[in-house]
Amino acid sequence: MFQNPEIALHSLPDMEDLHWQQIHPRYARRLQLERALFVCGIAIATLAAKFLVGIPSDKVFMLWLGLLIVAVPLLVWPVISVPRRGYVIRDKDIVFKSGVIWRSVTAIPFNRVQHVETSNTPLDRKFGLANLQIFTAGGSGGDLRISGLGLDTAEQLRVYILGKVGASIETHQA
Amino acid sequence: MKPTRPKQWQRTSPLAVLFFFGRLLKVITKNAWQSLAPFVAFIYAYQGELVTKIVMGATAFLVISITISVLHYWFFRFQLDDDAILIRQGVIKKKQLDIKFDRIQGINTQQNVVYRYFGLVTISFDTAGSSGSEGNLPAVTRSFAESLRSKISGTTEHVGVPAAATDSGALLRLDWRDMLRIGLADRRALIVFAIIGPLLERLGDDADQVIANYLERAADNAFQFGVAGGVIIVTTTVVGLILLFALVSIGAAFLRYHNFELFLDGSRLQSVGGLLTRHELSMHLSKIQTLRLEQGVVLRWLGRYRLSARQARSSQKQGKDKNFIVPVITAEAANHLRELLLAPEGDDLVQIPTSECFEPISPYYMRSHILFVGLLPALLATSVFWLEFGIASLASLLWLPVVILLSYQSWRRAGYLLSAEGLVRRSGLIGYRSVALLFRKVQRVTVTQSRYQRRKGLASLRVYMASGSVRIPYLGHAAAKQLRDYILYKVESSQLAWH
Repeated sequence: MFQNPEIALHSLPDMEDLHWQQIHPRYARRLQLERALFVCGIAIATLAAKFLVGIPSDKVFMLWLGLLIVAVPLLVWPVISVPRRGYVIRDKDIVFKSGVIWRSVTAIPFNRVQHVETSNTPLDRKFGLANLQIFTAGGSGGDLRISGLGLDTAEQLRVYILGKVGASIETHQA
Repeated sequence: MKPTRPKQWQRTSPLAVLFFFGRLLKVITKNAWQSLAPFVAFIYAYQGELVTKIVMGATAFLVISITISVLHYWFFRFQLDDDAILIRQGVIKKKQLDIKFDRIQGINTQQNVVYRYFGLVTISFDTAGSSGSEGNLPAVTRSFAESLRSKISGTTEHVGVPAAATDSGALLRLDWRDMLRIGLADRRALIVFAIIGPLLERLGDDADQVIANYLERAADNAFQFGVAGGVIIVTTTVVGLILLFALVSIGAAFLRYHNFELFLDGSRLQSVGGLLTRHELSMHLSKIQTLRLEQGVVLRWLGRYRLSARQARSSQKQGKDKNFIVPVITAEAANHLRELLLAPEGDDLVQIPTSECFEPISPYYMRSHILFVGLLPALLATSVFWLEFGIASLASLLWLPVVILLSYQSWRRAGYLLSAEGLVRRSGLIGYRSVALLFRKVQRVTVTQSRYQRRKGLASLRVYMASGSVRIPYLGHAAAKQLRDYILYKVESSQLAWH
């Protein structure tokens, strides 16, 4: 029997009192380590350039000073931004929030998910983390990526969402 | 691997050689230098008269490309299964394509002059979402194309009448006046200009000589007849060039859209048109993700719109969207078409941009534009130029009123319209663009708030469709959240497929 009851807008479930699940706290340290390695890499490269090509010392110091100024916010930022990220699994969709200055909340209904993918880099594995990527139709940035989940959590989520979607399984290890 | 039944593999008509020849020429012109290099080398190496050289080169070129086309035809086989069409092709690199009927979004056909005489068509399968393999079936009979079409629509959905030549009941017909309109409104005329310019330069000394002579004469005339004469000559040159490009694009419009007709056959939209090669496109109504109505300056002046129905975009082929386009359409016809295409849910989704139904977005939209695009760059430019130019650098502040005007214009043109089943978003700066979508086809929704928007209780909503995303900026935060929750409810309770 076809039914089409009228829906009162205020009776729709809203997202005000959701219990947001946090990203794994180790993810902040993982980001910090990655960025520290990156900064150290550039510092070492300039040092090597000094000896090989012969860049004057004062210029190298200027570069390092600049690098230091950039490095401090780079290393501090994850501590601020990671706790701001969160996700909620509801019965019919998954909601993800992120952002400190520009805050965004994205919702993907399970019946629009094309496929789900978990992946992790060697650095992620070192910290016991994984990324979950949820694809919808339309390509070009048409996917939601939740980075820095615990390995078990990512796997659980993947299986749960797949169960909801009934789609194909894909696991990537980069 | 399927057990192949050799008796069912069949060849197309030998006239398919024409198709392969055309495709070869296209490939050659696309990478002209690499493929023509051997012939150029040959012409240089061969000792003799220039004419002989060219004749020899052209003959060799023709013989080789015809041989390649014949080989392509010889190795091209296809087979019709119950649920798929299999194509085997390739001369050196063999390739087998299995195109499942339920992956096919539409069957498009082209018919050039020769094929029309023999009653043949070239079928191209529109399989959005699949990897970059494009399926073509050259030189098959028209009745075969029709039977395939009804077979495919039979597997996806039971539609009645096959797309026979239903001459009556065309939704829309474009006549020669519309060709003029299409030609005039064609933005590609500018691109042609940009391409032909450097080409003319490359033509070498002769063209230079001609132009130089012309200019010299113009200068002489200017000397004889005074400045007024010079101005007249320059103006006629410019007007002549513009006329030439208008003519070229009108010609292109005739080639592509001559006798353009639009049909609705069951739940399939079909268009036919073209002067030498007849293009026939078909698209299932359920594949439409967004409906876009656009109006540039020229179209506005002509009182017409351009309508395109957008399908799901495949992730592999970037930028090669297969859209169903009606190049010129009146407001009433566009309204009527929208009601048909988005039936039954799209009745209230008025797309005509001058309609009174549109809600404005918050005027704070202008403030952030003026601040970040106008004021900050203007101040920066002033301070940078100050050392060099002194007081004159204040001229860069003139940027500010320009940005203010543009922001005001773009705010005035921005707007949205909500119905129970979908929304329309209007935007534009010089022209207008309005995009209509149905909530039940939405893929995901994002609500974003900047710091400034948070203070003002505003937010931007972005709705992702399979054909791209639609953004409504600067809504009230509460309204944006409510709209998002409503869209989610619509998607999650919908029993209908989105594609």
